[in-house]
Amino acid sequence: MPCVADWLNCPLSIVQDIFAALAQNNSDPEWEKKVTEYFREKLKENNATNWVPSLNDVPLHYLKPSSLVKFRCMIQDMFDPEFYMNIYETIDTHTKSHVMHFGKYRDIAECGPHQEIDLNPSHVVTAERQTFYCVPVPGESAWVKEAYSSMSQARVCPSTSYTPSRQKRSYEEDEDMELHPSKQREQHLGSIADIHGSGEPKRLETEASATHQMINCSPPLDLNFPLPGEKGPACLVKMYGNWDNFKVNDVLEVCGILSVDPVLNILNNEDRENSSSPVESMDCMDTVEEQRVHSPPASLVPRIHVILAQKLQHINPLLPACLNEEESKSFVSSFMSELSPVRAELLGFLTHAFLGDSLAAEYLILHLISTVYARRDVLPLGKFTINLSGCPRNSAFTEHLYRIIQQLVPASYRLQMTIENMNCLQLKPHKDYTANRLVSGVLQLASNTSLVIDETLLEQGQLDTRGVHNVSALGHLITWQKVDYDFSYHQMEFPCNINVLITSEGRSLLPSDCQVHLQPQLIPPNMEEHMNSLLTAVLPSILNKFRIYLSLLRLLDYSISDEVTKAVEDDFVEMRKNDPESISADDLHRTLLIARFLSLSAGQTTLSRERWLRAKQLETLRKARLQQQKSVNGNEL
Amino acid sequence: MAGARGRGDYAEEREKAAAFLEGFQRSAAGRQPQHKEQRPYCAQLEAVAQRERAALWVDLEDVAEEDPALAEAACENAPRYQRLFADAAAELLPRFRRGEPARKDALDVYLEHRLLLEGRAREPGQPREPQNRFPPELLRRFELYFKAPVGTKARVIREVKADSIGKLVTIRGIVTRVSEVKPRMVVATYSCDQCGAETYQPIQSSTFMPLLMCPSRECQTDRAGGRLYLQSRGSKFIKYQELKIQEHSDQVPVGNLPRSINVSVQGENTRLVQPGDHVSVTGIFLPVRQTGFRQLLQGLLSDTYLEAHHIVCVSKSEQEEVGEGELTEEELRQITEEDFYDKLAASIAPEIYGHEDVKKALLLLLVGGVDQNPRGMKIRGNINICLMGDPGVAKSQLLSYITRLAPRSQYTTGRGSSGVGLTAAVLRDPLTGELTLEGGALVLADQGVCCIDEFDKMLESDRTAIHEVMEQQTLSIAKAGILTTLNARCAILAAANPAYGRYNPKRSLEQNLQLPAALLSRFDLLWLIQDRPDHDNDLRLAQHITYVHQHNRQPPSQFQQLDMGLMRRYIAMCKQKQPAVPESLADYITAAYVEMRKEAWASKDTTYTSARTLLAILRLATALARLRRVDVVEKEDVNEAMRLMEMSKDSLVADKGQPSRTQQPSELIFAAIREMVPVGGVRSVRLAEAEQRCISKGFTPAQFHAALEDYEELNVWQVNQQKTRLTFV
Repeated sequence: MPCVADWLNCPLSIVQDIFAALAQNNSDPEWEKKVTEYFREKLKENNATNWVPSLNDVPLHYLKPSSLVKFRCMIQDMFDPEFYMNIYETIDTHTKSHVMHFGKYRDIAECGPHQEIDLNPSHVVTAERQTFYCVPVPGESAWVKEAYSSMSQARVCPSTSYTPSRQKRSYEEDEDMELHPSKQREQHLGSIADIHGSGEPKRLETEASATHQMINCSPPLDLNFPLPGEKGPACLVKMYGNWDNFKVNDVLEVCGILSVDPVLNILNNEDRENSSSPVESMDCMDTVEEQRVHSPPASLVPRIHVILAQKLQHINPLLPACLNEEESKSFVSSFMSELSPVRAELLGFLTHAFLGDSLAAEYLILHLISTVYARRDVLPLGKFTINLSGCPRNSAFTEHLYRIIQQLVPASYRLQMTIENMNCLQLKPHKDYTANRLVSGVLQLASNTSLVIDETLLEQGQLDTRGVHNVSALGHLITWQKVDYDFSYHQMEFPCNINVLITSEGRSLLPSDCQVHLQPQLIPPNMEEHMNSLLTAVLPSILNKFRIYLSLLRLLDYSISDEVTKAVEDDFVEMRKNDPESISADDLHRTLLIARFLSLSAGQTTLSRERWLRAKQLETLRKARLQQQKSVNGNEL
Repeated sequence: MAGARGRGDYAEEREKAAAFLEGFQRSAAGRQPQHKEQRPYCAQLEAVAQRERAALWVDLEDVAEEDPALAEAACENAPRYQRLFADAAAELLPRFRRGEPARKDALDVYLEHRLLLEGRAREPGQPREPQNRFPPELLRRFELYFKAPVGTKARVIREVKADSIGKLVTIRGIVTRVSEVKPRMVVATYSCDQCGAETYQPIQSSTFMPLLMCPSRECQTDRAGGRLYLQSRGSKFIKYQELKIQEHSDQVPVGNLPRSINVSVQGENTRLVQPGDHVSVTGIFLPVRQTGFRQLLQGLLSDTYLEAHHIVCVSKSEQEEVGEGELTEEELRQITEEDFYDKLAASIAPEIYGHEDVKKALLLLLVGGVDQNPRGMKIRGNINICLMGDPGVAKSQLLSYITRLAPRSQYTTGRGSSGVGLTAAVLRDPLTGELTLEGGALVLADQGVCCIDEFDKMLESDRTAIHEVMEQQTLSIAKAGILTTLNARCAILAAANPAYGRYNPKRSLEQNLQLPAALLSRFDLLWLIQDRPDHDNDLRLAQHITYVHQHNRQPPSQFQQLDMGLMRRYIAMCKQKQPAVPESLADYITAAYVEMRKEAWASKDTTYTSARTLLAILRLATALARLRRVDVVEKEDVNEAMRLMEMSKDSLVADKGQPSRTQQPSELIFAAIREMVPVGGVRSVRLAEAEQRCISKGFTPAQFHAALEDYEELNVWQVNQQKTRLTFV
């Protein structure tokens, strides 16, 4: 049996062994199951997943080609399925002997110098695989990346493995790689962000890039990240089976064989060169553009041939990946026991962040654990968009607030709602038919991403067509938790689950479920100092508790007993009777939601009478503030 | 099937194909016994022989009629059978030739020359060398395509998988990319620079290796090393085009992205479609042959494409109907139960609680009244409804539900869509630079429903255009030199917010909405949805909401809610009916209308009662008749229409909802009858008149009789013995 290093470094040889043992004589599909079984077993053994290097934190050129890697990513686009030869035969030109090979988990057929592939269809088993274009989870917080990379025990030694791999690489690949030296470098370093740390390799790269940049003038490949300024590798993930379970925007962790064969690039270049001649271009039905997008250079966009893939419920590294398993149950119950001090601590922390406003802090906790838990026909249940009005302008308050939220949630993005941004950004993803791909937009986000819309930056100005579309897309997202992707001939609705927090001075122009007016108790003279001291004061272990708290509570189940339901109904009727203006159907909806999140935030999975009353009390406080604000500002509501 | 036949049987299959082409007679049943039509393939072959047409279509439906096994085999192994049929047709062709074809092209002349030369140079009986023989592809001047049998169901692109390779499949989708039409070489002709002999090379794949050395016997024996040169004049080319087809949005599972497929189109099938067309394509699913270096490297992969045989452009609505089909008996029974009208109405937006009458009105809007064209004047049948109301009373949700329910609909906001807006805009096409007309929401919703939210915030330019749309159902454009009238036969469902935040019953309608009366009168029904406290209603509302939060789903209602697809189909069925108003009802309606006018005058109503009101009642009544799927409007329909009208007016009237002021129906009936009494003279009215009056006001006959008895007991009035007159005491 092969040792650890073997299944990590040359998984293909293991597949070969299994294939040889089982499939040589009878081409039954048993060997494929066996392969998945084998790797699943291997990865289960004492934290073996941590031994697998992750594309998220290890630069691509440190990884050995065709070794086992894992990748935490979001499906950005789905390409058409491709047909490949699952089993094929080669004929030796000299000895005329036939050898059987497997084509699964490979891009390039294995073929010796004196061998030819036997194209006789009787010896070829064709199968189908699906390609997903995956990008790292958009808006992933830095602490998530750090936590994952510190957990990893993969042994990749840059200094020794880097140099030899350079020599092995063909000229063409280098060229392609140097096409985007800056991107590459940033990618490599990811969150570690210390550019000078890598020393010599970096110098080599920059030198090379200087010379190559002059020659190469093809436009850089757009890696199609949803958020501007994102870094990290994009990846073509090839799925073998069960791909129907995965949807666009799902977050996955895939484990598979890395394929960066430089031949893939040569193929590409050849196409590009020949595209000018009319006869040759007919060889391939796709346009040059499409070729570029669908088979980008492997050094930029590596391929992963998936052996195991799983959908992630959350991307918080501090939580066990799957909460249904036995061992994670104990984790949950132990955490639940110390829930209330954590909540109190978090409330205190956020109250400081809100300059002493505890009501706003309370609402923010509720907002951060909200999630769309069901969809009733068109109406999403559980969305809880907060409009935080009354934010002090010109004090970078919102920016610092976002930094704090970033520290708490695993994925977030701050959308600066300026006229310029709204007119220029493409919020909705749209299909580009010439390149045949889905061009991403800011609103293509994974579930439970926190989107902070900063409206305090909005100045007077004119929105153009795109701006209007963008604003209405945001409104649509908030109201229905859906984004209409633009397929030019028609729109397609994609349900999403994004927590939207709007910060504004007055009432936001976007719809929201609940407006909370901020009432700072004190305005610190230096906002930056205040927030920095807040962040440094909190212990990392406490911060981690906050993170667990917010991610975990979102995943809990919740129910309402018939008894409480009855009480709530009576309550509602009573309130209506006394003052019909005081509560409407929407208010009841909202109060029930608040009661839900309040109960959950205290670790209770059923609604009690006290929580209901507390929810009502919170609402009364909040409304009183709005009323007060209205009287101050006159016409504004 | 196909596998069972040995290779040797293909000759036999060809015989069968030939026999079919020659001998097929369309069975006369169901078709007109036209003489020419009887042997369709002979007619086609004749036309091909005369060069009147270039494509020969073989309908597999016909083949199946003659020989089901042959048709099945052709579906399974389409490329082979295409060749077999083509060979068979080529053999038959000379028999159909009647004299010289009228038209000649360069290739004809070229071939004629060659054949003439051949005949002179060659001694009879001498066998020809294989390379120098004319390949059948070169001589053949027609293309043969299959048409799939009518019964074949169009497939979704994602269902076309590896097992369909080589088979005839039919797919539906939207064309997203169309390449230019290019010539593609079918037969390459070379001539030798040494011996002058001509060599032909048939080409099947997209690339080919040109021949270099002359293979003729002369050159071979002399070792002259004759080089071959390609002769483009002698080569045969075919029109070639590539398409990319993407799945329809309704075929894509939730959360997935639509897939696409490449389609290669040849010969007569080219230039049939444009990007954006909805098409159904029958073709053969084939792998792309990789050649040369690519084959070596990417041996593991194969791209696939569809070789098109038959392309049909389908309109979206058409294919939807095909997909859904007629209702079954059982479904019909499920719908047309006792209280189907209430049930259908309750199935509209079930998540929105209450508002039964509004939902009924929306149901009628979906069904629509009957269009009338008396002497060229067009009277619209579409029903326009405007929903007004305080913020947060689910107006937008009703609109969004209707958008989804209506098979053809547009949802827009008065302000939302800039650029094209509601009407139409003249835009410069980014590709060609030509001016093109781009339809706005109203034009796109032709034959459907156009839902306009925030109607009161509409742009001034759109507001003027909408006048025309709402009555004439057309849209006139005079922009950038384009003068035209577009159809906009749509029902308009608008939602508007009152101008001052809340509806003020003290003010008139146009003051409340800040919309001109001319526009408001074009709405058949105006509803004011208000939020009024009421114990029972509140309790039920609370129960509804808490249930949703408790169980994450809809509470069970007394009606089995109808599935959206079922409703859509039922409504489509209703729309086929064209009910008419019978003579006998005309008097009744006119009387009721006159009554309403009088009443409106008397009560200084905030709403309008004009000739448009009468038309609205007729529309509603015909829509109700349609809903019952009958051909004649009945009195009940008119009564219900008037009741809805009355209810919609009531919703606008001041503060009726206050508990202190709710009146019993009998009181209202009493008041209505008292008004009828002439001021001077006999204080009595005719009973039948009184009843009709009350019914037209929205009361049921039962309520009327109850009121009659109540007040008789109180000795307020008396009814005479014959039950004809009512006299006040």
